[in-house]
Amino acid sequence: MSARKDPEGNETKHLHQFADFAGKRVLEIGCGEGRLTWRYASASALTVGLDPDKNALRVARIDRPSDLADKVHFINSHAETIPFHKETFDIALLAWSL
Amino acid sequence: MVHALGEIHRVLASGGVLIDLRPLCDRWSIEVFSARETRHTGHITDLPPGLEDDTAANRAMHQAEINGWFIREKEAFFPLHYVWDTASDMEKWIDEEWVDFVGLDEETRRATRSTWALGDADSRVRVKVKMLLTRYRAIK
Repeated sequence: MSARKDPEGNETKHLHQFADFAGKRVLEIGCGEGRLTWRYASASALTVGLDPDKNALRVARIDRPSDLADKVHFINSHAETIPFHKETFDIALLAWSL
Repeated sequence: MVHALGEIHRVLASGGVLIDLRPLCDRWSIEVFSARETRHTGHITDLPPGLEDDTAANRAMHQAEINGWFIREKEAFFPLHYVWDTASDMEKWIDEEWVDFVGLDEETRRATRSTWALGDADSRVRVKVKMLLTRYRAIK
């Protein structure tokens, strides 16, 4: 039993219509296994994925392409306590997480 | 939820953007489709916890606007398909993965199974999920 999610790529298309990720510092809240992360991270200057699920983050780190290792990072945390200084990011993405 | 939005506001730079991307319960449509045709077989049943989650999220974003943290700039709805090879696969997914917020009634199960079984060899099943995408600007 497996589902193919969004085979038409509607989510990616609409996301890029709403935000220009080029050169931006991006915080993704609820990144999970990084399914959405890989659809914009290569354009960003820095991407941090936040998720409380350690197992999901393990998958995300394994799937991280080697050329994104320097600019895509995953942190085990809740959105209620974001471990960064104020005004660190240009874009915050609530990914199926509100 | 509102506290989390306050944290997001804190770490966003002046003029930063908050993107809220999420599915909304809305009696998602179920279809059996092939290269030749598409047949509607019913709807997902919205369950109270799913509807309450949507209401709570909407309320939290509204409160964040009232608090002067964000201003809404743009909003859109779009469909996102989940696709399965068989009606049985779809039922298992809904019963295991989505059980907390949506359901599937017997009539729709039967209609989807029979339509898929009698359909073309390349027939598959899909649920059309309603997605909400909203862009907010951080106010400092």
